[in-house]
Amino acid sequence: MKTGVEMPANVQTRRNKSIKSTLSWYVFLLPTFLGVACFIVYPVFESFRLSFYNSNGTIETWVGLTNYQRVLSQGAFWNAVYNTFYIAFFQLLLAIPIGFILASMINRINRFKSVFKVMFFLPNVTSIVAAAMIFMFVLQPEVGLINHVLDTLGLPTSPWLSDPGTSKWGVILLTIWHWIGFVIIICLANLQAISPELYEASEIDGATGFQQWLFITIPNMAGTFAFLIIMGWISGLQRFQEIFVLGGAGGSPGRSLQTMVALIYERGFGGFEFGIASAITVLLFLIILLFTVLNIKLTRLKL
Amino acid sequence: MNNHKNMQKITQVVLYAALVIVAIIVVAPFVWMVSISFDRLANIQVPFPPTFIPDPFSLFNYELVFENGRIFSAYLNSAFVTFCSVFLQISAALLGGYAFSKGQFKGKKLLFIMVLATMMIPIEARLIPLYTMFNSAGLLNTFWPVIVPSILYGFGVFLAKQFFDQVPDSLREAAQIDGASEFRTFFQVYAPLAGPITATLIILSFMGNWNEFVWPLVVLNSERLHTIPLFLASFSLENGTSLAGMTMALATMSVLPIIIVFVFLQRYIIQSIALSGLKE
Repeated sequence: MKTGVEMPANVQTRRNKSIKSTLSWYVFLLPTFLGVACFIVYPVFESFRLSFYNSNGTIETWVGLTNYQRVLSQGAFWNAVYNTFYIAFFQLLLAIPIGFILASMINRINRFKSVFKVMFFLPNVTSIVAAAMIFMFVLQPEVGLINHVLDTLGLPTSPWLSDPGTSKWGVILLTIWHWIGFVIIICLANLQAISPELYEASEIDGATGFQQWLFITIPNMAGTFAFLIIMGWISGLQRFQEIFVLGGAGGSPGRSLQTMVALIYERGFGGFEFGIASAITVLLFLIILLFTVLNIKLTRLKL
Repeated sequence: MNNHKNMQKITQVVLYAALVIVAIIVVAPFVWMVSISFDRLANIQVPFPPTFIPDPFSLFNYELVFENGRIFSAYLNSAFVTFCSVFLQISAALLGGYAFSKGQFKGKKLLFIMVLATMMIPIEARLIPLYTMFNSAGLLNTFWPVIVPSILYGFGVFLAKQFFDQVPDSLREAAQIDGASEFRTFFQVYAPLAGPITATLIILSFMGNWNEFVWPLVVLNSERLHTIPLFLASFSLENGTSLAGMTMALATMSVLPIIIVFVFLQRYIIQSIALSGLKE
């Protein structure tokens, strides 16, 4: 039996303890929140602020919406938006179905599954910079590997990266090659998570393997496709490295490869037009935000 | 019944044949890269029609690359930067993930959403302010701006939280009845249990940092500080599609460490990537 005198003291120490404990949780989170404050919150607001100034890093003058006006009326900006969307769109449109089909095939074979997984995933672990260097030669019109194979098969060859009309497709091939392993691994993991009971039930109803794939597997993979589309779009909108290696910040030939990030880099660190570059950054940021929200809403992805 | 078995056999053969063809296509660029890197004359003329076995076999391109020497400093720079960044990222992610999983404090949910939201804000949207910030701190052309921002690893915090959610709370209660502080509970009870998630985080963070490009490109102008991807890009921009032999020797040397790591750890790497795409 506890006495009435002990109680308050007990409550007191318990409260002290809980304050101490709360404090220690904040200490656990201190590194992460220093990071959020210094490297996310501050830069995002600063980007926004800078977009209203004419700035080269030292001298700043307020110009209001002039930067946005200039950016939005420039062909260079819309060209970069077009290139970015074009490459990302076709990369996703081809890589996700092909990757899913390959994953379904790997899932159905009896042996050597991991050998194929490893081989298809190999490009994804190499840096995109090295991959771009390799593809510069693979896509070379005269002595490159792809044109030689096409020629041998009697198919028409292409100038690929050396012509503004076809250069984007050269990059699309590179991005598919680099990304397909990721698509396959994610698809495989989720294929294996589909309940086997669904297949057993349909087997009793006499469904063929292909029917099962069409009516059970594909609908059950909707969440996976949504995840891949979101990941692919976000990274596609940030495309820069392979462009920079293949065509420099200007995205040659003829600016046909310049992406939005390449344009930010060119204006910001080539021309030191921080205001203009910040305005493009804010627009890119809004586009990413819009697409993320839209994708999450459309696909009802659970995060 | 027999018919059914035959059907299955045929399906398997077709599947293997198709997969082997695609696998050859996927691996071909690597094989071609290695082959050109051992071709003595490739700097003048890439062998045509393409060969996959260099004839004659020569180490000439590698000698040229070694003489240049920059590849070694690039390796060292990459190793240093990656090691520091991985260390920071893992420490912060484990601490943060633990707090979000086991902690009870004000604003927990809001703070967690904030950390998750950071994953959607790419470095590209922060390049210029970060650049001016490190510029006014006088830290451009040092490794500081590459390493320090690693302390924020939203995805790592998220994965670590998921992991600690599965470790029972009873361990905490037992430790705290014995009078252990939150810190002792973490370091002596939970951190030793976090081996699997730490391995996953190390792999993901290692690959991410080793291949990091845009931000280092902006802050490391000095050639002697260049990491592997920066060195490759600058070599490639200088030479275009000439000097195929040297370019491919460099590309081979740059992908070799990561391929070795991958071959030894492939099971865990593939698992971690798969984990990153599985939603609860």
